[in-house]
Amino acid sequence: MCIGLFSGGVDKLTYAGVVISGAAADDMEVEVYVHLQAAQWFVKGNENRKEYLSESPDSFDEFTKALESTNSPSWLEFFEMAKEMTDVKVYVCSLAGKIWGGSREDDFIDIVDGIIGIGEYIDAAKDADVHFLI
Amino acid sequence: MTTEELKALEIAKMVDARGTACPGPLLAAKKAIGEIGSGDIMEILSADAGTKRDIPKWAGKKGHEYLGDIEEDGYFKLYLKKN
Repeated sequence: MCIGLFSGGVDKLTYAGVVISGAAADDMEVEVYVHLQAAQWFVKGNENRKEYLSESPDSFDEFTKALESTNSPSWLEFFEMAKEMTDVKVYVCSLAGKIWGGSREDDFIDIVDGIIGIGEYIDAAKDADVHFLI
Repeated sequence: MTTEELKALEIAKMVDARGTACPGPLLAAKKAIGEIGSGDIMEILSADAGTKRDIPKWAGKKGHEYLGDIEEDGYFKLYLKKN
C-alpha cells in the first residue's frame, strides 16, 4: 500500500492513521509519502503548532471532543502502533520538509524513515497494489 | 456454531476491546493472536459494530476459523480459532 499524505488537518491525519492500522492488521507493507501540508507535523519542534481540520474547520472543537469520546489514539499513536505491527515506512518529501524547517533526517520525529524526492513517490505509487491520496 | 456451542468453548485468550472504537478491536485481536497457540480459541469483546464485520474477514484472510458471535447487552462476543 502506498499513501500520499498531503493534508495537515488532524481529521485527515487521523484517517491516515486508521487506514495504516487496518493495513497493519493485514500485515501489509505500507509506504507513506508525506507532502506539503502534512509535513509540518513530522518536523521536530512543531508539536505545539495549532491543530486544525482539513474539512469543516469551524467544527474543530466539536470534532476533537467527539473523537476523544471514542478513546481513539491520536494520529501519531496510530502511526506508532502500525509501525510496531508491520512494515510501515514514512518518508518526507524534501521540499515539504524544507518548507516546515526540516532538511536533515535528524530534523524529523522518530517515525520518519527518510527524506525523498518526488520521483521515489511516483515509482511507489506506480508499483503499489493500493494507492491512497489523503 | 450455535450460541450454546459458542458459550461452551474453552477460551484460551479473551480480549476486552469494548473501550475502543474501530480499528481498536481489530488491532487488539491482531496483537493477541500471537499470544495463543494453533487450535486455541480467542474471544473478542467489542462494542463497535464494525468489528462484527472486520473480525470475520480478517480471520478469513489470515487463515483462522471464525466461529461466530454472541450479542450481549451493548456489545458483541466474537470467537475464532487460530490456524
